[in-house]
Amino acid sequence: MAEGGDMEWELSKENIQPLRRGRAISALHEALSLQQDGLSSAINQQRQAFESELRMYDGDDPLDVWDRYIKWTEQTFPQGGKESNLATLLERAVTRFTEEKKYHDDPRYVDLWIKFAENCPEPLDIFRYMQAQGIGVTQASLYIAWSEEYENQGNCRKADLVYQEGFKKCAEPHDKLLQFHKALQARVSRQVMMNVEEDSDDEPKQPERVSLAELKHRGKKKAIAPINRTGSAIRSISGGMQSHGAPVLGNASNSRLVVFDENKTQSAGPSEPKLEAWAAPPTSRAKENERNPEKWCGVKVPQKSKFGHTVMAPPPPKPTFQPFVEESDQPPTMTPCKINPAVNTVLSARKPHREETPLKRLQEHHQQQKEAESGKLQEQSMYCKELLLSGATEFCFEELRAERYFKKVTPEVRGQMDQACASASN
Amino acid sequence: MTSTLKGITLKGSAELVAEFFSFGINSILYQRGIYPPETFSRVTNYDMSLQLTTDPKLKNYLTNVVSQLKEWLFECTVQKLVLVITCLETNEVLERWQFDIECDKSAKESSAPREKSIKTIQDEIRSVIRQITATVTFLPLLETPCAFDLLVYTDKDLVVPDKWEESGPQIIDQSEEVRLRSFTTSIHRVNSMVAYKKTDSV
Repeated sequence: MAEGGDMEWELSKENIQPLRRGRAISALHEALSLQQDGLSSAINQQRQAFESELRMYDGDDPLDVWDRYIKWTEQTFPQGGKESNLATLLERAVTRFTEEKKYHDDPRYVDLWIKFAENCPEPLDIFRYMQAQGIGVTQASLYIAWSEEYENQGNCRKADLVYQEGFKKCAEPHDKLLQFHKALQARVSRQVMMNVEEDSDDEPKQPERVSLAELKHRGKKKAIAPINRTGSAIRSISGGMQSHGAPVLGNASNSRLVVFDENKTQSAGPSEPKLEAWAAPPTSRAKENERNPEKWCGVKVPQKSKFGHTVMAPPPPKPTFQPFVEESDQPPTMTPCKINPAVNTVLSARKPHREETPLKRLQEHHQQQKEAESGKLQEQSMYCKELLLSGATEFCFEELRAERYFKKVTPEVRGQMDQACASASN
Repeated sequence: MTSTLKGITLKGSAELVAEFFSFGINSILYQRGIYPPETFSRVTNYDMSLQLTTDPKLKNYLTNVVSQLKEWLFECTVQKLVLVITCLETNEVLERWQFDIECDKSAKESSAPREKSIKTIQDEIRSVIRQITATVTFLPLLETPCAFDLLVYTDKDLVVPDKWEESGPQIIDQSEEVRLRSFTTSIHRVNSMVAYKKTDSV
């Protein structure tokens, strides 16, 4: 690998989402160089190839195609974002195989679920759903991800209980589960020790204060890529309050961990999925800068000047750190301000409306399937709807037909080509 | 080290490089979460803020290594410094940070200082350390508790000092290698590289 020219990743390091398993540097270079001129045709071609493979696959492991497709997407779109279509892809993959019992304990499938959960606003709901459906209940990775989510929200007790549940189910690999459980215990005990130290010189803190402290204490967790940074920061407030013993919401799920009862959930959960069964409807898809309304005690509302700008509080007189100034630096050129303050109206509050969350869609899908099985379904499509819609994008009939045609034709063409080559070499 | 100094001698160069390693190793240990972040404190050096360990044992160990390294740098007998990150439980090598050192041995004979300002060298060092920080964007997450080890490759005829032992290269099989920036004091040149386990995808 040549030096110098390969520094491209450093220039766009902020736009690369860290992955748990890391990135292949060659894929990263390729992705970054391709992105400079928009979504290139090479990417589109590859995507199309995956899409048609999804539809044309007739082996006995359809999950493999999805798995490869999703991994390719992760590597090819380092900045994530909408055009990667990853969220849709994960959702489709996950829904596709909910009925396939043979995949329920397949580590690849469980991994997809975990990735899907991480993309959702309420990962805990997804994990509970998985448990109710019996997906990955014998996989250590489910319990690890679940517990980490609890821990991120500051609920270490539940994080521990999740591991207990994993041990009860004899989740595999046992060593891994044991090791992560030990690591959690070490983190918690360290946190407790540090809290004791701090509490001795501190009065009970404001919720905001707690959230800051929590962030600082995360310990080893810092290494885990916090993709949804705002979310967890906000969530840790409620986590902190919970740990101080103040019940914030009157939810039954909040007061005490409901130990999973197999018999009970089977009658209540999967057989007739009730949308209301999931307390506290998850909020919309993860967006930044979203906060729950809260009381701002003793905070002055910023005054508006006559130009419509908000008057900012004067900055602290002197920053506590010394900003680095390059000696040879040119005075920065000002970027012209494009926003005309007269036109730019104040952002209005978002209208509350029924949000469709991935989890709800999952449940609806599940319900539909149940209905279809019992013959209650009214509609019946007279075309191969499944095939057209099975990937992340929609195919048209012609594309399908073309795929079939090419599949049929290629062996013949290849045969002819071989003959031609043979005759040429003769 | 005053900025009015224009040239650089072998001794100064060895000191600069050793200092780089001290900060660089600390940065890696912090960035990769080998030691808990609360055991680090922030210092400002090279006009950037860096994390230095406060763990007394680790500090002691690093001081020992760096001072030994400085000697070898001064004698121009060191070829490589490698920081190996291994899984604590399985001893599997997960990451390998390699710093190749090229010494200009002619500097040993002529004591005339070379023309390169400390400012430029520090700028180069800064960009190397920045890049080390930036590698989190593609390195895999270290999920298990890890330990680290430092390996120094020296010229063959060197006597192994006390508290040092000979060891294997600890290469990762099936690794992905990324070259990082390099810097030179015009006497010592340091090329950095990180190797990590290849992802099984794509």
